[in-house]
Amino acid sequence: MKTGFSIFLATFVALGASWSGFVLAPLLQLGGAKQTVILQSTDNWPQQRTGNATLGLQVYRAYGCAACHTEQVRQTGVACEVTLTSLGVQQPADFVAFVRSLFALPELAAYTNAMAASLDGWNGGLPKTLLTCPDKDVASAMADRLKAAGIKSETSIVAIGPDIARGWGFRQSVAADYLYDQPVQLGSLRAGPDLANIGVRAPDARWQLQHLYAPKSITPGSTMPAFKFLFEVRQVGAQPAPDALNLTGDFAPPAGFEVVPKPEATELAAYLLSLKANAPLYEAPFTPVTAAK
Amino acid sequence: MSDENKSSSSPAGGEPTATRSAAPMWIVVTTLVLLCIGGYYFDQHGGWFDAHVYAPYSSAEKLEAYQPQSGAAAALARGKKTYEAVCGICHGADGMGKPAQFPPLAGSELVNSAGVNRLIHIPLAGVNGAIQVEGKDWNLAMAAMGAALPDEDLAGVLTYIRTSWGNKGGEVTAEEVKKVRAELGGSPQPMTGPQLMKMPE
Repeated sequence: MKTGFSIFLATFVALGASWSGFVLAPLLQLGGAKQTVILQSTDNWPQQRTGNATLGLQVYRAYGCAACHTEQVRQTGVACEVTLTSLGVQQPADFVAFVRSLFALPELAAYTNAMAASLDGWNGGLPKTLLTCPDKDVASAMADRLKAAGIKSETSIVAIGPDIARGWGFRQSVAADYLYDQPVQLGSLRAGPDLANIGVRAPDARWQLQHLYAPKSITPGSTMPAFKFLFEVRQVGAQPAPDALNLTGDFAPPAGFEVVPKPEATELAAYLLSLKANAPLYEAPFTPVTAAK
Repeated sequence: MSDENKSSSSPAGGEPTATRSAAPMWIVVTTLVLLCIGGYYFDQHGGWFDAHVYAPYSSAEKLEAYQPQSGAAAALARGKKTYEAVCGICHGADGMGKPAQFPPLAGSELVNSAGVNRLIHIPLAGVNGAIQVEGKDWNLAMAAMGAALPDEDLAGVLTYIRTSWGNKGGEVTAEEVKKVRAELGGSPQPMTGPQLMKMPE
């Protein structure tokens, strides 16, 4: 065994290198993650789950929801949008002529077609998104030119990606989002939609419960299995239960019966409502959507 | 152990032999080239292990550049912060001042004026002696509190003052502040009330 020590050393280095890469480096990078502050706000992100939502994470885990649902929104790019808020003294027609005069600028060459198309048939309604481009400098140069011409505009940051185009979020998921998930339910297969911000898309607990009981009653083509065992079908007592589902048609229980969620269903619904990855963070910036001015 | 030695050096039977020889030069060169390319790629896209940098942002600087700053709102928020740190101690966070000591800014005709020339002079030069605000006489010295602020910050403060607490003034730009600062020169004397009122608005 002259080479015994060499074999030990080689094994140690090989395993140690992968351990360093897969365990140590991520720990050093993200192990100290703490609550962060939401951009342009004083609120913290993320918030610790409370009560039913905490229990709901374990229900979500127990029924293998992560087998068909992910909780991670992907982002492929970022863009700046220049949105007009006021034309000042200019008439829309003058303004369009002014923008067309800018088309000669070499920096705008890549965006002239899109801008021309968006200005076609524009009736002067505001706010109006004029330019969408990935280059921040081009966008701010455009905003400066508009300002010099007495036109007010706002430059907003928007995240771009297939998931975001599907309406599954405003930005990509980042490590901070999962700070209080134990365990993290990332998921890897999307038989169903991503749930990273389902609490924003469907903020109604009754909707969530009905969808769990009979997905097809809400989305006719849904392939999601009905989780009927999370509910109790029972005879209506002296008064209907306040949390009975409001079902109609084929999905309604027989006359004199009502569908009432068991505690597990309520917990799962509370967990789903707690999934709200909608806060702009330093590591995933975007301009929050505000009411149109 | 000696058997091992013998077998590796045995020429018989056409068995392969292990010998010590230098690695071919092309492997060394290729490895070094790949390392260089990898290192360059990491430097350009990796963000140097920064916990905040995720793709598609390739570096901390790129990420910083895309932080949202919606012009007017961001300036106003900054102006409020500066106001509360610099001006609010005397004039109050609510802009009401203190009776018989510090004049209010809310509703003040100097703040709500059409032009901003006089208003910019006050924090840049300071005020000394009697002055009339909202029909009352005030007699107190105000130091040039805004002289040390950058133009953008002072403009932000004045914009905040002119648009808060029911005031109906417009925006104050950094250029306007810069212009007045240049007119006043290095170390201006505090203005008196009549001096201020003689100036264009």
